[in-house]
Amino acid sequence: MSRPIHDRIAAQRIAADLEEPVDEAGNLARKFGLDPYEVNYWIVDYDEMNELIAYGGFQRRYPHWRWGMQYDRQQKQGQFLGGKAFEIVNNDSPSHAFLQESNTVSDQKAVITHVEAHADFFANNEWFGMFADRPDAAAMLARHADAIEAFMTDPEIDRGEVEKWIDHVLTLEDNIDQHVPYEPIDTRIDLIDEHDTADVAEQLEELDLSDEVKGQVFTEEWLDAQADDENGTSFPAEPEKDVLGFLRKHGMRYDEDAARADEMADWQKDVLEILRREAYYFAPQKMTKVMNEGWAAFWESAMMTGETFAGDDEFVLYADHMAKVLGSSGLNPYKLGLEIWQYVENSTNRREVVERLLRVEGVTWRNFHDTVDFELVQDLIEPDPVVASVGEHLDELDPEDPRVDADALEAAREARSASERASGEPASREGEIDVETYPWKVLTTEGLAERHYSLTKPQNRGFVSRVSQGELERVSRYMFDEARYDSVEDALADIDYGRGWSRMREIRESHNDVTFLDEFLTQEFVDENEYFTYEYTQSTGDYRVTSTDYTDVKKKLMLQFTNFGKPTVVVEDGNYNNRNELLLAHQYNGVMLDVGQAKDVLKRVFELWGRPVNLKTIVKEFDEHDVEVAKRRDREPEPEEVGRLVRYDGDEVTVEELPWDAVEHLAADDIDYDTKPDEWLA
Amino acid sequence: MGLREDLERYREVGEERRQDLAEFIQYGDLGQSRPDSVRVPIKIVDLPEFAYDQRDQGGVGQGDAEEGDPVDAQPQPGDDDGEDGDPGEEGGEHEYYEMDPEEFAQELDERLGLDLEPKGKKVIEETEGDFTDITRSGPTSTLDFERLFKQGLKRKLAMDFDRDYVREALKIDGWGPATVFEWARGENMPVSRAWIDEAYDELPEDEKTAWESFEEMDANTERVDTAQRIRREGIDEVPFRREDERYRYPEIVEEREKNVVVVNIRDVSGSMRQKKRELVERTFTPLDWYLQGKYDNAEFVYIAHDADAWAVERDEFFGIRSGGGTRISSAYELAAELLEEYPWSEWNRYVFAAGDSENSSNDTEEHVIPLMEQIPANLHAYVETQPSGNAINATHAEEVERSFRDAGDVAVAYVSSPDDVVDAIYEILSTEEES
Repeated sequence: MSRPIHDRIAAQRIAADLEEPVDEAGNLARKFGLDPYEVNYWIVDYDEMNELIAYGGFQRRYPHWRWGMQYDRQQKQGQFLGGKAFEIVNNDSPSHAFLQESNTVSDQKAVITHVEAHADFFANNEWFGMFADRPDAAAMLARHADAIEAFMTDPEIDRGEVEKWIDHVLTLEDNIDQHVPYEPIDTRIDLIDEHDTADVAEQLEELDLSDEVKGQVFTEEWLDAQADDENGTSFPAEPEKDVLGFLRKHGMRYDEDAARADEMADWQKDVLEILRREAYYFAPQKMTKVMNEGWAAFWESAMMTGETFAGDDEFVLYADHMAKVLGSSGLNPYKLGLEIWQYVENSTNRREVVERLLRVEGVTWRNFHDTVDFELVQDLIEPDPVVASVGEHLDELDPEDPRVDADALEAAREARSASERASGEPASREGEIDVETYPWKVLTTEGLAERHYSLTKPQNRGFVSRVSQGELERVSRYMFDEARYDSVEDALADIDYGRGWSRMREIRESHNDVTFLDEFLTQEFVDENEYFTYEYTQSTGDYRVTSTDYTDVKKKLMLQFTNFGKPTVVVEDGNYNNRNELLLAHQYNGVMLDVGQAKDVLKRVFELWGRPVNLKTIVKEFDEHDVEVAKRRDREPEPEEVGRLVRYDGDEVTVEELPWDAVEHLAADDIDYDTKPDEWLA
Repeated sequence: MGLREDLERYREVGEERRQDLAEFIQYGDLGQSRPDSVRVPIKIVDLPEFAYDQRDQGGVGQGDAEEGDPVDAQPQPGDDDGEDGDPGEEGGEHEYYEMDPEEFAQELDERLGLDLEPKGKKVIEETEGDFTDITRSGPTSTLDFERLFKQGLKRKLAMDFDRDYVREALKIDGWGPATVFEWARGENMPVSRAWIDEAYDELPEDEKTAWESFEEMDANTERVDTAQRIRREGIDEVPFRREDERYRYPEIVEEREKNVVVVNIRDVSGSMRQKKRELVERTFTPLDWYLQGKYDNAEFVYIAHDADAWAVERDEFFGIRSGGGTRISSAYELAAELLEEYPWSEWNRYVFAAGDSENSSNDTEEHVIPLMEQIPANLHAYVETQPSGNAINATHAEEVERSFRDAGDVAVAYVSSPDDVVDAIYEILSTEEES
């Protein structure tokens, strides 16, 4: 559907304009210390863009109405946003990014810089590494599409059945164990495209790997369960979070004509495993959305405004674009992520400054605010003019300076003297560097870190002085006392300007959204960015602001990002009641699940299990009288937590009350996601 | 296969996705709608999943906020399943099928098998129709010049004849003016004797015998009929006559507008707890939409009452709660007063009241029923909302029902849970239809 960058005339013209920004964005990203996958850029038109977005950034997916739905939504949204699709890049090596033909050059540049940072995140975040070190995603998804299309066109298989089966499986697409690497359930799935011999080696690798898995899968316990249903074995021994995997192993289909469970058809097993694999492939993206989008927005901004990647005339458009992206209502992962990254950068840099200052004779954490002249500090940490405005100081730069890229400096100097000879023509010859356009080229990552030092930016002035007493005390407690400075000047001369960025790179390697929020959301951050929590209150019948305390904000955010923001449901027993029934259990964390939806899910799980399915959960109930009383007193009623067994036997859904001891093990006792102030409670 | 096909499949899957109207009325979120646009949630086609109860989940917002401030329920991120960074996708906002009240009424008719035909009542002031009527006098600007010209032309044509031909006839040897006049009249030429005499006198003597006979003259002279002559020579003048003048004036059309005034009465006394209030809202709101959709012009009057009655705005109507006792007749007294603005001869009227059937003793019998009889309306209805079955003293509905058992314009409906709402609406609307 889309064509490579050089394919069409319009596209070619755009491509020619963008070739330099593409190359230079990649160069700049690497100078900043990023290590992105190579990115292939494609130019697509508006419709193609919407198609790509609907398909999750890929050109081919298996046939399914849900892509149609996403396309439809995307188009409607496009009408609202004036037809602007911003960026789409997929996690692959090389990554593929798509540029919309009709966007302005400044939009394209923004997309390109943004994409380079995503490609860095894909390549370096460990959670992405869990699926595969270098995913061959486009090819994998295309193989999946081929396989499913083949089932659909197979005259032996009813196409409608395939579609329904896909629907059933997708219902559980988030019910995988996303914290462990993907392992195929068995090796029987043959997805190798006969004409695609290049993939065979990789496929064989997969087979090898899977042989080991086979051993794990066909455990004695499992064989027991298979061999003999009457012996009453409950399995799995430990609750299984990978519900899809469990169903792939032990599930059956329900044969309506025979009114009994029967073994899944081969195509059913294949479809299940294909979708499970895709769920594992996409899981890291869902788990790192805040971080990843924030990371991309951060570096995009550093390149576009920090290094004036946007030309003067483009800058206004770019600012407008950023305002649109960041200004959309509701909790916006771009904005939250960007703000946290900026906070990490600032607070790490501040820590560096504070540590230096605390080593100055006479400065302690107790007298810090009284003895330190913050105006002076602010002046002293100002980046060296040599790196701040490279063009004006080209002659002063020292090739031996670790902040300077010696080769590039030489090239830049040659270019400048050449252009002086040629009476002011800009340098453009091969290998020469135009320092006016690309001043960053003559600097190293260290030099750029100083050039972009966050604490001296206008919006961050005062950040150092706002350091809290508590933080000062903590910092000083972990400091080794050996080196002392005589003066503030000496201390600050030693500042490591690169500390913020290097900390950020570490974080982007090992964190996911949950750990990211857990670690970096502080009261200072919550106050500065005005976050608050809200709850539904029974007394007013609407949502009310409940807290601006960071621990509360964190709790609520964690709830939204832990386990894809979904309740955790595990397989507790595959031989429930000793009747081969499936028992799922909702691990209740204080927030109940949507019971109505859960019933619909169970109906679909039944199709994948073939026999009755059950779900244990805990619900909150309000006594009507209590609610009335509470309202009159303007208080919140206390709900009662009750155990429930939701069951679907293929015919009807029933809900029955369970004694507390049957669900007690599911109730979390130490987590409380409720942020209502105590004094509201009745 | 490809995205086109995915889209088609989606449309097929989603075809029936609009929430069933009855289900929407009974359990749906009515609050998303505005008076001029009914928003029926589209059943989310998307697949179900294990998800948190949205109310119980709460959330995080951004902005300057104080504890206790109300928050617009914000869409939760993560509702969408965009797998890649697709901006603007945040928040799985609900989708709505928007219909105007007309469509709502039509759909409800279909759904419930109703067919209420509203009556046109009020004569809207004489609208001026086309300028099709005519009169003999009037302002110059309305003069029908076309007609005047046509009449003049007709007149001209009627008076016209082939003068040259008649002159030639006078040249026939032996024909004198008398013969020619006789001949011309026989030929239906509108020629006068005076003209012939004059023409004869003007002929030179030698020409008076130019033709041997009529046949010779006719063979040598071309007779030109009027149309040809006008075409050849044009018309010098068209004789306009005052008697041909006509002035146009507009036709007066008496249009009857299908208009309706709906009086919604609600008991807001202490016994009307939240559940009862919600049931009233669920019953009244669709009725309002329905009537608004059925009539060209709908006006609404909202009356709240406990022991006294007062008129309120729609926004407050369903939320008000007061203490105090209940005297339903107070509301009917006010209704009668307010309805004076909407004379029965010109307005369709609906008077809907709702409450839990509690009333002060004898009020129903002695005041309410007589008032209901006195207030002419297409339909009176009482909706009893009593979630927990009947209370002992709550007999208003029954009394009304008993008194008006045979009347075709009074409906009583009982609503004890949302399940009953649609039946109640049917009961009310079908009562009028039968009458």
